[in-house]
Amino acid sequence: MSAKVYLKRAKDGELVQATLCDQITQNHLDQWETTWIPEMKAFAKQRSSASGPEDAHWDWRGKVGKGATFLSHCSFALESNGNLQGMMMANTVVSARLPEQFGKPLVYIEYLATAPWNRPETSNPSRLRGIGSAFVLTAIELSIDEGFKGRVGLHSLSEAEDFYEVKCGMTRLGPDGAHQDLTYFELTETQAESFRRNI
Amino acid sequence: MKTKRTMTLNLTQREMDVVQELAVKKDLSKTGVMKLALRLLQNIDARVQPGKKLFVEDDETKEKSELVIL
Repeated sequence: MSAKVYLKRAKDGELVQATLCDQITQNHLDQWETTWIPEMKAFAKQRSSASGPEDAHWDWRGKVGKGATFLSHCSFALESNGNLQGMMMANTVVSARLPEQFGKPLVYIEYLATAPWNRPETSNPSRLRGIGSAFVLTAIELSIDEGFKGRVGLHSLSEAEDFYEVKCGMTRLGPDGAHQDLTYFELTETQAESFRRNI
Repeated sequence: MKTKRTMTLNLTQREMDVVQELAVKKDLSKTGVMKLALRLLQNIDARVQPGKKLFVEDDETKEKSELVIL
């Protein structure tokens, strides 16, 4: 199954049609290997760094394969112009931590990444904007569809913290020692509704 | 939207009370509770194999109690 979404071309703000697929397929993983990885390596080489972007070590093939048999795991891919523009994996058996919704189920975003050519830090100028927002909206819609009322949670890489706090309006709960000290963020029903209204 | 199938579930009053109680506690519909329970059972069943145990650990005391699963 797939749905049409709109992204923005970074250089002039023009809307670009994209397709949201409700599963990361073999073709997406092949594109990740043949297009994303070389670009991330090139960026690392340019910066004389061994690591590249924070998520350069994510093995999407392994992650998708591991979650494929579980009802709790969902994966999504965004395509535009024949190219893979982003991928997301989410889990639906995770409980909320904020006091006002503690213990209630939410959609937990395990991994979210945009193609390297869409990131201002790795590609200047970047090509498309709005991939992160499209995926957060997708997670909210999934949460509503599951009866979780828009509740969403995630651990953020340091480079994306401002995006989740400022752009998405999520509540920052601080670093989590059980998750490499990554900062945990959560979205309440009200915050989810506000995000949907303002996007 | 993925295609959905319908099933009828017969529960005892006590089981239904628990479903209702969990629905309130988890802010879910009764169907939502049953779907969540199914996902959890599938996850746990995949992890708990012969020679492996499932524990709940107290954050403060570090005391562990074993959960007995099927």
